Amino acid sequence: MGLRWYHFALWGAFIVGLALLPELVSKGTLRTIIFANYLAIFAISWDVLSGRTGYISFGHPFLIGIGAYTTAILTKRFGVPVEVSIPIAVLTTMAGGLIVLLPALRVKGSYFAMITLAFMELIYQLVQVVRPDLTGGTRGMSGVPTLTRGAVNGFYLSAFLMVSVALTMWLLMRTRLGTALSAVGMNEESVRGSGLSATRLKMVAFLLSAAIAGLGGAFYIHYLGTIAPRALFEINFAFTIIVAALIGGASTIIGPVIGAFFLTFLLEYLRPYLPGAERYLIYGGVALLLYMYQPRGIYEVIRQGWARVRGLA
Amino acid sequence: MLQILIQGLLLSGLYALLAMGFTLIFSIGRVLNLAYGSYLLIGGYVYFQFSQVMGMPKLAGVALAAIVGVVMGIAKFRLIVKPLKGDHVAVEISTLILAVVLQAAVVLVFGDSSKILLPIIPGVKWLAGTAIPYSNLFAAIASWLILIGLYLFVRTTHTGRAMQAVSMDPKGAAISGIDSDRVNMITWAISGALGAVAGVFFASYTQLYPGMWVGPLIIAVAVVIVGGIGSIIGTLIVAHIVGFMEVIVSAWIAPELRGVFTMLLIIVVLVARPRGLFGREEL
Repeated sequence: MGLRWYHFALWGAFIVGLALLPELVSKGTLRTIIFANYLAIFAISWDVLSGRTGYISFGHPFLIGIGAYTTAILTKRFGVPVEVSIPIAVLTTMAGGLIVLLPALRVKGSYFAMITLAFMELIYQLVQVVRPDLTGGTRGMSGVPTLTRGAVNGFYLSAFLMVSVALTMWLLMRTRLGTALSAVGMNEESVRGSGLSATRLKMVAFLLSAAIAGLGGAFYIHYLGTIAPRALFEINFAFTIIVAALIGGASTIIGPVIGAFFLTFLLEYLRPYLPGAERYLIYGGVALLLYMYQPRGIYEVIRQGWARVRGLA
Repeated sequence: MLQILIQGLLLSGLYALLAMGFTLIFSIGRVLNLAYGSYLLIGGYVYFQFSQVMGMPKLAGVALAAIVGVVMGIAKFRLIVKPLKGDHVAVEISTLILAVVLQAAVVLVFGDSSKILLPIIPGVKWLAGTAIPYSNLFAAIASWLILIGLYLFVRTTHTGRAMQAVSMDPKGAAISGIDSDRVNMITWAISGALGAVAGVFFASYTQLYPGMWVGPLIIAVAVVIVGGIGSIIGTLIVAHIVGFMEVIVSAWIAPELRGVFTMLLIIVVLVARPRGLFGREEL
């Protein structure tokens, strides 16, 4: 898989750095980092589906929402223990991933993007109408059991999840499977021409993405303790996930993580100056400029900068 | 029955107008303008600011909204679409970011709360037990007139035919001496004006709030998918299918479910007939 010593060193430094963070920063910052961790998980999930295969999804909250609602309903309404409900949530979300796969077998490009938007809107409206006794209707649910108490524990759980997802995906994407998935994004016909099944590859990508989205969504809801359709199936949420992945660097693993941390902290540091939704003006503006300047993200900017430094040395 | 017919016609006229600008860009520029909803948002607020807050004549407010729409359309084409050189994914993503930025800008200027637009023409007409606000009637008739004008423009004028040519085959159009940049820019300007005017009508139909751009965008998406690209008549027919379906579902099944059926229609049509009901062979 072409592993080098510095790969181990960088991952090791990353994990040790995360483990030491609670000693170094305040509880408030830690809470911000928890959000960044979950956003990173969602961004990685989006990237597996869209960044690799090129099937841009504008409705990723569709998948996250399935996972979140499944575990929330099971634990809150039926008293199912979390150890059982989260795996069920992941499986349900994977079934949801197959639903998203269906149109991807027939349509491409902008048409696929539009249909994912329709999926998100569909589930947003269905959740409020169908069985509001289970889903809590428009107002959602509160009092979903939480897994951890306090910022430090919540941080360790989210960081553990994020690192496991990132590391697993990183290793997986270095195998031939990862190469094949990226090839689907570059040219589907030539993947077929090489005797690989593009359909099967797409299915793998969508299932992987859904599994991560379900896992992240389920743990996220058990961290928040509340769930509401308007907060979840929102175009702003979809926007944040996509931008995190792209700003950081699509088709990489560390890119979405960088993007998630960058965006979360940008949003957090703007809070004192612009308390409300106006923050998105600067947040989106920065994202737009960065994206127009380098569509391949911060990862690429750093890589080119590093290459230049090494070239001089 | 008559009630459904009237409400359906009124709503469909509005939907046809708001979907048309989106279809134009998708047919000719081949890109998805996810910031299309922002034209409606900004158009509605421009009208609100000039006509309702500053007390200018209502027609002047609509005209100003259209002008702002034109400026936005040209700026979007010049600053975002053209530099990205037809990279569809990049255009989709940057327009999505732009839509969120513009929403935030509206929040910054006008605040988060929703505003009620006074009717463009006050008064209500009662017909077959249904209240028809003159405003909605005006919006539907204006939509029809604008659409007929657009159809004649595309069919009969030189620029309109150039737009058709670029939509069919940009390379062939270039060989025939058509400046596709210019055609694209005109299309973006028209699309902006249509969106902004539709925004004034849409806002007077519902209400004015910073998140109002998502609903119309989804309707426009539905109309484009179901109708297929490159057909004004197709857009018109599908806008009526969607509009009537919403009215019928709200009247006979449940008002909360009206969006659900539109989404199901999108999904079924895309899976069964990806080029849409009236679209050209493509994909």
